[in-house]
Amino acid sequence: MNLEYSIVYKAENKYETWVNGAHWQFLIIPEENKTQEFVGVDFTNSLDAPIEYSINGFGFRTIRIHTKEKFKTVAFEASFKLIKREVNPFDFEITANIEEGYEKTKTIDFRVDFEQFLRSTPLTSIPSTSEGLFQFDLKQSIFENLQGLNLWIFEQIHFKVGTTDISTPLIKIITHKEGVCQDFTHLFCALARQNGIPCRYVSGYLHQGNGFFGDSQMHAWAEAYIPMVGWVGFDPTNGILANSNHIKVAHGNDYNDCSPLKGVLHTTGENKTIHSIQVSSQQ
Amino acid sequence: MLARVANNLFWMGRYIERTEHIARFMNVNYFSSLDAPHELSHSRQFVLRSMMFMVGEHVNEDSEQLNEQNTLYKIGLDSEFPYSVINSIRNARENANSARDLISTELYESINKFYHFVVNYPVDKFVKNGLYDFTVNVTEMTAILRGKIRGTLLHDSVYAIIMMGINIERATQIIRIINTKYNDALLAQGSYGDKFSNSFEWTTLLKCTESYDMMRRFYKKTPTSISTLEFLILNPNCPRSIMNSLNQVHNHIRVLDPSKAYNKNSTAFLVGKVRAEFQYKYIEEIEEDIQSFIENILNNLTKISQKMEKEFFNY
Amino acid sequence: MKHDDTTIFSSYERNPSLYDEIFDENGNVQKTYETLFDLYGKHSIEDYVNLNSKAKASFFNQGITFQVYNEKKTQEKIFPFDLFPRIIHPEEWDIIERGAIQRSKALNLFLWDIYHEKKIIRQGIIPMELISSSANYLHQMIDVDPPGGIYNHISGTDIIKHNDGAYYVLEDNIRCPSGVSYVISNRTALKRALFGVFNHYQAYSVTNYAENLLDLLESTKPKGVDIPNCVVITPGMYNSAFFEHSYLAKTMGVELVEGRDLFVEKDFVYMKTIHGPEKVDVIYRRIDDQFLDPLEFRADSTLGVPGLFAAYKKGNVTLANAPGTGVADDKAVYTYMPEIIKYYLDEEPILNNVLTYHCSRPDELNYVLENIDKLVIKPVDEAGGYGISIGNRLTKKEIEVVKIQVKENPRKYVAQPIMSLSVHPTYIEDSESFEQRHVDLRTFTILGKDKEFVLKGGLTRVALQKGNLIVNSSQGGGSKDTWVLKK
Repeated sequence: MNLEYSIVYKAENKYETWVNGAHWQFLIIPEENKTQEFVGVDFTNSLDAPIEYSINGFGFRTIRIHTKEKFKTVAFEASFKLIKREVNPFDFEITANIEEGYEKTKTIDFRVDFEQFLRSTPLTSIPSTSEGLFQFDLKQSIFENLQGLNLWIFEQIHFKVGTTDISTPLIKIITHKEGVCQDFTHLFCALARQNGIPCRYVSGYLHQGNGFFGDSQMHAWAEAYIPMVGWVGFDPTNGILANSNHIKVAHGNDYNDCSPLKGVLHTTGENKTIHSIQVSSQQ
Repeated sequence: MLARVANNLFWMGRYIERTEHIARFMNVNYFSSLDAPHELSHSRQFVLRSMMFMVGEHVNEDSEQLNEQNTLYKIGLDSEFPYSVINSIRNARENANSARDLISTELYESINKFYHFVVNYPVDKFVKNGLYDFTVNVTEMTAILRGKIRGTLLHDSVYAIIMMGINIERATQIIRIINTKYNDALLAQGSYGDKFSNSFEWTTLLKCTESYDMMRRFYKKTPTSISTLEFLILNPNCPRSIMNSLNQVHNHIRVLDPSKAYNKNSTAFLVGKVRAEFQYKYIEEIEEDIQSFIENILNNLTKISQKMEKEFFNY
Repeated sequence: MKHDDTTIFSSYERNPSLYDEIFDENGNVQKTYETLFDLYGKHSIEDYVNLNSKAKASFFNQGITFQVYNEKKTQEKIFPFDLFPRIIHPEEWDIIERGAIQRSKALNLFLWDIYHEKKIIRQGIIPMELISSSANYLHQMIDVDPPGGIYNHISGTDIIKHNDGAYYVLEDNIRCPSGVSYVISNRTALKRALFGVFNHYQAYSVTNYAENLLDLLESTKPKGVDIPNCVVITPGMYNSAFFEHSYLAKTMGVELVEGRDLFVEKDFVYMKTIHGPEKVDVIYRRIDDQFLDPLEFRADSTLGVPGLFAAYKKGNVTLANAPGTGVADDKAVYTYMPEIIKYYLDEEPILNNVLTYHCSRPDELNYVLENIDKLVIKPVDEAGGYGISIGNRLTKKEIEVVKIQVKENPRKYVAQPIMSLSVHPTYIEDSESFEQRHVDLRTFTILGKDKEFVLKGGLTRVALQKGNLIVNSSQGGGSKDTWVLKK
């Protein structure tokens, strides 16, 4: 069964002092993949600056805006339409060849192929004081262990808005046991990688129809690579596997590779950004 | 050529020219006042105020006694004072630095030597007895720079932009000098029985602009207010006249914008218009209201500069 | 000829433990230097003081300076220049030149490989950590094919002469190596000061670097471009290498741009000229990867151009050197250069690498632990000289500490013999005489699809502090004109 989604992304920036010209880059267009068929995008901005589409260094589509105007506030609105195919996250054999799976992750070819998603970054480093925080049980399959990790994080960490930001290191999350979807995801990536499983940070939209956690911002979850299966999405914030409610935009090593809005401008004084996202579906 | 670098070249030209006029104005005023025929022109306070007026600082004659060494330092070597000689050459060099790949090594080396000469000039010597040596060297070094600009650069758009800067600045500085000396002549008249039109200040004015000898050759008479102003404003053959500067600006803008099409928003159009207005002015009508004439020409020069910025230097 | 026959070298002290490039162990002048030695000997030391100050003034007036920032004001300084040239014999130069090209080619193939199939790692020739622990490995460059397959268009190779008389490479610089403009200004300065000596030697000219560089840049033009528009991008006039950037732009006759002069539209790059936008095809960049594009790399970079990397990746503009080359001038990669050369070119290294012991290999570890006093111990993953221990300067206690560190984490350390740089007579202002000073040599190599060029000269850097081995200009080093003799 296919779902037809429409997503509205809004951002408004307010600056205390005048800004003379700016560049923005949005990483908010849903990815085209085997479960997502992209239908269309409509983008507007309050400055009426021309819009360009491009591709960033990791191969994801971006929207770029450049203005030479002087402004204090600017508003952007993007609406997307896409078709999401119903996915069954359990569409593979879970327990076959347990040992073979682990063996494979140890081969040099595997480690070379997935080097990017095995390396830790400042945002996905486990402090040395917390080593062995989550150890895989080698009698169980990789998938089962990842599911266990997913639930473990879901239970350990409490969803709480406002206590962390996009640069909060994991040591704080582990100590205070609270955070938002980025923090849940960074922790998942870090622990999966520590156990030798390639894992990437995914940013996207969550259809919240069913009372899932997340807020009116972009959602984040993780994708781990399981030998002989492929990339599987885990949403530790909600303790579930990624499903047809998850609309993927981009992936990377951590948040920094996926930040939805990058701006290059010069201003003194404070500035405020308000994001809002609406995801609605019709079947 | 890059728009930013064009802007640098334009201002390099302007600052080189500015350096020269400030230095020469100090020199001529100071030294001709020493044996001026009457008391006010001879007065040290009068001369120092005149120098300050020329660099845009109006000093009220009653309220403030100027200290000679401080005043000379301020206009000559004070880095804090934006209009000083040292700042003008520093800015000229900064601008040359940014455009270093476009100008000749010879020109750059001369600017650089010039800069080091000024920066390393002992302050103590300058304010006590170095004024003549310093200002003569500065004016001669600017002459060398002009020679290097003309003699070592391609006469293309780089040259045209530098020359536009030089000529717009020259017209601006000549007008400022005229304004200052006109003001001095007004102040000096009356109390000493000296008639305005025959004031000693006209001779000083002509010397300040290195035009005294040629003016005498042309008019064969002692300078008066009318003949001096006519020579310095309207005579197209006097290399320091406003008219000559406008003619040059006109020639050089044609290199940057050779189009013959009618475009009332272009810099070339504005330059042509201002120049044409001047071509058919006569000195009597200018003298009737010299103040508004001065304001008008300064206004026009600013407009040309702004228009250039918008059309060519926008980056 | 004995060196005490003449006045100018009469106070020259030879330390027999150092390798002197002009005097042999008996104090005789090497054949190559004989004529030069005679010519210089005709001058009195007063002549020298005079010539030296003239040469300094010439650099100063030409504005070949860099700025030093003090608390109160900025000062302009020149890079000290020594009037006694270094001569390289054609046979020796031949080795240097072939060696530098060999390394450039091998590094280029290495870069291609680690940004594509990574065969050298899969086959176990170099360890995975060389890229996975490198902050300079740019994942954005994976599977990108730079025009002509060239990454390191311009390389600077730092070479020393050891006390065995052989040349060794200390470092390969393939990000934005600088110094080539000093090669040329040193030659100009020496010609002005002592033109007579050039009549007696047939040295290669060094002025052909810029035309070769332009030739290379033009050859890397993006597809579909007929006559490419090349530019040099600089961080700006306050950068210590700005003179070099403007020199190269001027001699190549191309624009010298800053980030703010460029903009990207629909993935094409343009520069803002007095007559509007003009497309740019090839950029010789003198800014580091992380500053190239604030939308892709460091967001706080004001030096770069928003959108530049996307334009590059699309193939609409060429960057030289390619982004991501920095990974190959990491210290750890250096230690594998013999293997890298062998693997990609199936050749033996022409220039020696300093022998490196990998503490990760048990037998080498044992040797290192037993011989720490004769070795330099370096962590593989740190740059800028951090964590380096020089064995013969350590106390017994300190040696024990290092031993424990190495034993605890052997993968983290490599060890090298302590190298001794050759010395060269250098005029020292304070003592107004010639003294022995350590020197190295930076060569400049240009690599294109069908082009290999090494500037016949290079920059001889000299450590002006007595006994100092560090020749970097940031550490108060000077330089010498370097003559490569014709055969």
